Amino acid sequence: MKPFIPKNPRFRKYREISAIYLKSQLAWRADAVFQMLFTVTKILFAYLLWGMVFSQRDTVSGFTLDGMLSYYIISSFLSQLELSDGVSGEVSERIRNGTFSKYMVLPVNIPGYFTAMEAGCVLFYLGFDLAAALIWIFIFRIRFVFTHSPLIILCALLMIILGLLFMVQLNYYLGLLTLKYEEIGTFLMIKSNLVALITGSIVPLALFPEAVLRGMKLLPFYYITYLPSMLLTGRCREEAVTGILILCLWCLALGGLIRITWKKYRVKYDGAGI
Amino acid sequence: MNIIEAKNLTKTYRRFLKPEGLRGSIKSLWRREYIQKDAVSSLNLSVAEGELIGLIGPNGAGKTTLTKMFTGIIAPTSGELSVLGYYPNDLKNEFKQQYAVVMGQKSQLFFELTANDTLHLFKEIYGLSESTFRETKDYFTNLFQVRHLMDVQVRTLSLGERMKMELIVALLHNPRILFLDEPTIGLDAIASRQIRTFLRQVNRERGTTILLTSHYMEDIKALCPRCVVINHGKKIYDGSTETLFENYQQNKRISATFPQPPTDLSLPDGAQIIEQTPYKLVFQTPKESVASVLTDLMQHNPADISVEEEEIGALVERIYEENKTV
Repeated sequence: MKPFIPKNPRFRKYREISAIYLKSQLAWRADAVFQMLFTVTKILFAYLLWGMVFSQRDTVSGFTLDGMLSYYIISSFLSQLELSDGVSGEVSERIRNGTFSKYMVLPVNIPGYFTAMEAGCVLFYLGFDLAAALIWIFIFRIRFVFTHSPLIILCALLMIILGLLFMVQLNYYLGLLTLKYEEIGTFLMIKSNLVALITGSIVPLALFPEAVLRGMKLLPFYYITYLPSMLLTGRCREEAVTGILILCLWCLALGGLIRITWKKYRVKYDGAGI
Repeated sequence: MNIIEAKNLTKTYRRFLKPEGLRGSIKSLWRREYIQKDAVSSLNLSVAEGELIGLIGPNGAGKTTLTKMFTGIIAPTSGELSVLGYYPNDLKNEFKQQYAVVMGQKSQLFFELTANDTLHLFKEIYGLSESTFRETKDYFTNLFQVRHLMDVQVRTLSLGERMKMELIVALLHNPRILFLDEPTIGLDAIASRQIRTFLRQVNRERGTTILLTSHYMEDIKALCPRCVVINHGKKIYDGSTETLFENYQQNKRISATFPQPPTDLSLPDGAQIIEQTPYKLVFQTPKESVASVLTDLMQHNPADISVEEEEIGALVERIYEENKTV
């Protein structure tokens, strides 16, 4: 009997991978409720905190209370969508315990599988977080500051997608390094600190010299949540196109790096434990 | 036509040797020692399309390593390998489209979802048309009689039911080769028998080549006309399963349980007791004496009796000894 080898519509398989991970997330109903409550709590705290700060003055660094809350809601919403940290751990763990084989025997592109898997999880959180954010914007009567330019909205959306794609690729790549180094904890720590530094979580970006800031803007992390949030609240419009270009270049570079690394080191995989 | 061709196939693993204790751990930070181990050594093997072949050997013999090389999961260290005309470790999608692998303790199923959900995923991954998908799914669900379980969360299924689902998922795209690693591990006698019947039927009706790795001699004897015995990475037997059992199997293992402790129960010459309690007796006896032993045992009104094949280790030892003396 001849095997069935179809001319496969390329992306249908990845759409189905996303769908099955979305379904897996939905199986955990308690998780879904807690996720919604978590989003609500964050917005409530931000409302109380910034409400106190703005009771003394009308603006902070050019932001009004509504502008600040809008920025906060968008950026925390985007941060919650960035779930790819788990990818590096999962790839690393599966390489070490031999279950990475599960993906190797399927006729799929493995980084593509992980990207589709992340997309499924993101879609789940997107739905719940968006619903929670909209409810609270309505309850607190926040006059949501949002850009009116369709072009900027389009740029921001594209940047968000590219940013999420880049982070999945980066985490997949770091996980893949297990083939060479066995232990990747140090790489993950460097990545976390770099992301925290460049997104201003460790030191406010305003404190950095201009030259350092310019250098940071060549790295992709600035464009993952910070710039899209600024764009959607109507700021930094002039950086939109540059941001997209830089993210595109990083995605392409990382895609190439993943391919080279996989080709070079996959012979080291021994599928231990199976 | 040969579907698998391996010539002088060798896989050598490098293992890190860590000296004992904290001092050893610190020392190994800058100076590491490694040892080499041949998991498979200069192995030659040809498998024709449509064969149902058993791969047997004790733990650590190299059976799973061989399966991993055939499926492309790991790369051989040296030698030539062609499976379906491809070098497996190139991991080409056209190659992967034509085989399936089921590892007894590794699952492709999504435990929180239903088997139907996983089947839909595999339908898209393998690019099956709706009609092919329906037809194949119906064929296998009827064969296994699991239609009523298709919409049940996988994690609530029994081990046997889960293995049936694994097999259906693996065979959905009608692969030319099915690699099975310990498919009956942990299953009870009824489930094991169902799996064997299913595999025999798939091989006969669909022409699927099956390479079965198992510890259980029952699996091999019931299913595989040909078997290959591996020990320490080397092939020590390749031929008819019937001849293997005829020539190298000397004993059978009998287990009997009794409602009351039996009195004056005597065992034949050459029998060896493995386990004995007032209500249970497990022993090994020469295969020629099985019939008379069973007749004797029946006179003690046993609650249950089972006769099993001898463990693989004993067979391997005999083949090994014979090869040494030849």
